[in-house]
Amino acid sequence: MKVVVADDSRVMRQIVIRTLRQAGYDWWDIEEAENGADALTKIRANAPDFVLSDWNMPEMTGIELLRNLRGEGNETPFAFVTSEGSDQMRETAEQAGALFLIAKPFTADTFRDTIDPLLA
Amino acid sequence: MTVTTNWEVLADPDPVFAVAEDLFTTMIDGEPGHLMRWYGERPAILHPTYTWVDVVGAGDEARVLISMGRDTGEDLARILFDLEDDAPVAETDFADAVGELVNVVGGNVKSLVTHPGALTMPEVSDEMPTLADASPVVDACVTWRGALLCVSLWVLNEDPSSRS
Repeated sequence: MKVVVADDSRVMRQIVIRTLRQAGYDWWDIEEAENGADALTKIRANAPDFVLSDWNMPEMTGIELLRNLRGEGNETPFAFVTSEGSDQMRETAEQAGALFLIAKPFTADTFRDTIDPLLA
Repeated sequence: MTVTTNWEVLADPDPVFAVAEDLFTTMIDGEPGHLMRWYGERPAILHPTYTWVDVVGAGDEARVLISMGRDTGEDLARILFDLEDDAPVAETDFADAVGELVNVVGGNVKSLVTHPGALTMPEVSDEMPTLADASPVVDACVTWRGALLCVSLWVLNEDPSSRS
């Protein structure tokens, strides 16, 4: 399964990927993206099965990335991992077509509990 | 749209401490109990590093600021990057790691007050940012493995030129 992890913070990309491995997704083929624009290019080029994105990024935010994808008819499953998990953000994410929003900080259990039901 | 955010719900340091404790438990230590509230007079932080994010928009702005010693920031960066205890930390990695800490705290603080605006990108400096005319809502310190870290929340005035 090809996955794109987008976050402008290199350390947070490492943490997300490390936590995904701890949660049992060590079979995922993960590609990193430094911001929304970088992610958009990589998603168009490589057609991943899933996108896990930060919200607040330079160049193109996560919500702009999602809206761009949906605007061009790309329905790749998409979710957020972001530092703000307010009801307002979750509603905005859902309306734009995101599957879920995980707020930082998170644990491997958080990832497993959220992602496993979607893969079942 | 102009809104009035009730920052005062955070005036008691407990909610901010809870955010910091959750962050350190899950992403730094892997277990609770390593972050302690600091009471009383605070000692000066040697070789301080300051990292902050602003909550902006909706005509109601605030800054979340974390201050810590350089050594403490490097220790935290090593943990976050999963490096050896004595590994050198590149300047860009240092800024990335400590900036991400305040980004997480800032995002959670913003959620607590349901502010409709946005978070700025984290800033990192060895100089305390200017907080002219800003009002502190929370200014509390914790110790982590014996090192002091201070977290503060400031309501900013409406003149961006008075800030850095």
